[in-house]
Amino acid sequence: MSELPARYAGDDDLANRVPVIVVWEITLACDLACKHCGSRAGRRRRDELTTAEGLKLIDEIAELGCRDVGLIGGEAYLRKDWLQLIAAVRANGMDCTLQTGGRNLSEDRVAAAAAAGLQGVGVSIDGLREVHDELRGVPGSFELAMAALRRVTAHGLSSAVNTQINAKSMPQLRDIMDLIIDAGATNWQLAITVAMGNAADRPELLLQPWQMLELMPLLAELAEDGRRRSLFLQPANNIGYFGPYESSIRNILDDEIHYRGCAAGDALFGIEADGTIKGCPGLPSAYAGGNVRDKPLREIWENAEPLAFARRRTVDDLWGFCRTCYYAETCMGGCTWTSHALMGRAGNNPMCHHRALELDAQGLRERLVQVKRAKGDSFDHGEFEIIVEPVPVTAPGRVPDRICVNG
Amino acid sequence: MAEQGRVGPHLRLCRGCRRFTNPDEIACPFCHGDMDALQAEHDALQEEVRQAADALRAAMAEARARRDA
Repeated sequence: MSELPARYAGDDDLANRVPVIVVWEITLACDLACKHCGSRAGRRRRDELTTAEGLKLIDEIAELGCRDVGLIGGEAYLRKDWLQLIAAVRANGMDCTLQTGGRNLSEDRVAAAAAAGLQGVGVSIDGLREVHDELRGVPGSFELAMAALRRVTAHGLSSAVNTQINAKSMPQLRDIMDLIIDAGATNWQLAITVAMGNAADRPELLLQPWQMLELMPLLAELAEDGRRRSLFLQPANNIGYFGPYESSIRNILDDEIHYRGCAAGDALFGIEADGTIKGCPGLPSAYAGGNVRDKPLREIWENAEPLAFARRRTVDDLWGFCRTCYYAETCMGGCTWTSHALMGRAGNNPMCHHRALELDAQGLRERLVQVKRAKGDSFDHGEFEIIVEPVPVTAPGRVPDRICVNG
Repeated sequence: MAEQGRVGPHLRLCRGCRRFTNPDEIACPFCHGDMDALQAEHDALQEEVRQAADALRAAMAEARARRDA
């Protein structure tokens, strides 16, 4: 029987707060202009960590027991010392992967990264050609990303794809899957686009809560098909929760695996390019636990209150539907990032399959309406209001998944 | 000693409707099936599948041995 991947956090890891996964945004410099970018990347920050600071940080990450460091951006390869950072991660005994838009992930860059010890690359593919190019803000970026994926596969690195699920990409997921299997991908990480940064400026791009009724059976079907075709589907923390497809979408060698709550700050943390530490890389600045320039990483990890939100959360902290949900004790409101970005605080997450099913059984659905715009900063968010309304009857039999977004 | 992390509870999968339930449920709150009976039925089916796979493997091995003899 195969072993679980190193990046899988077990009960001991959670209890002992081992940061199994660290996601490090090494630069905000980017060669794409994504319409859903939470950090609003583009230009590098003036105060990004130096090489010496980065190397010291890698030692500190290893000391905490981390097993997998994921480098992200911006676009990580635009940082001049990215190969040095990869080599240092590997020299410290940790796995190292790269997440990329792939626009300029050339043959030379892939070869150099592999030589430095990089083990895997996740390329972002957010739709078929037209949708991908539109979302990524650069004509031709789809072909370049697909070429990058094929290059990664050819070099024998673990090749993965990340896909944002939103109103544009959801109808194309099956076709995307066929394409990436042909290009050699073996892992497919899927995440619902979060209303943060650039995405907060485009509410029409976001899924509506009732669309979970369509999304979850689709993901279950894709997961099963993927397993048959050697593509392992990995739902991100904001995909769920607890409908009849929970087991199908999360089945890692065991069909009794299920969502057990946000592990941010317990089994993972994120690092911003300036050295700010957060429980998860996507979270807004209110969740910043400190900066490694000011204090040792271990001190931040062990003592920073803003990193303790997940382990301290109780059912009493939940609100709205989540407060009285059957799964409250287990789920604790799902993804902190998603719910905070939508509702202005965590603990009530409308992007939930169980919730959509319960409401649908009463002939109701939830619709999100933006009531406050984002300011325009990195990792900022606006605010949404939940409108509960009757499910429109559009055809013989109720077919809520065929209603237009924001209809 | 450093604060412990949160280890979320393990739920039980209803073999009737594939919903997860709290471990102490006797009847599934979603499909109302008998949790233990459904699990027993599932386990029996899994055992049949395992035995059938074993039998198939044995038959294939025997056929290979005959062919190679």
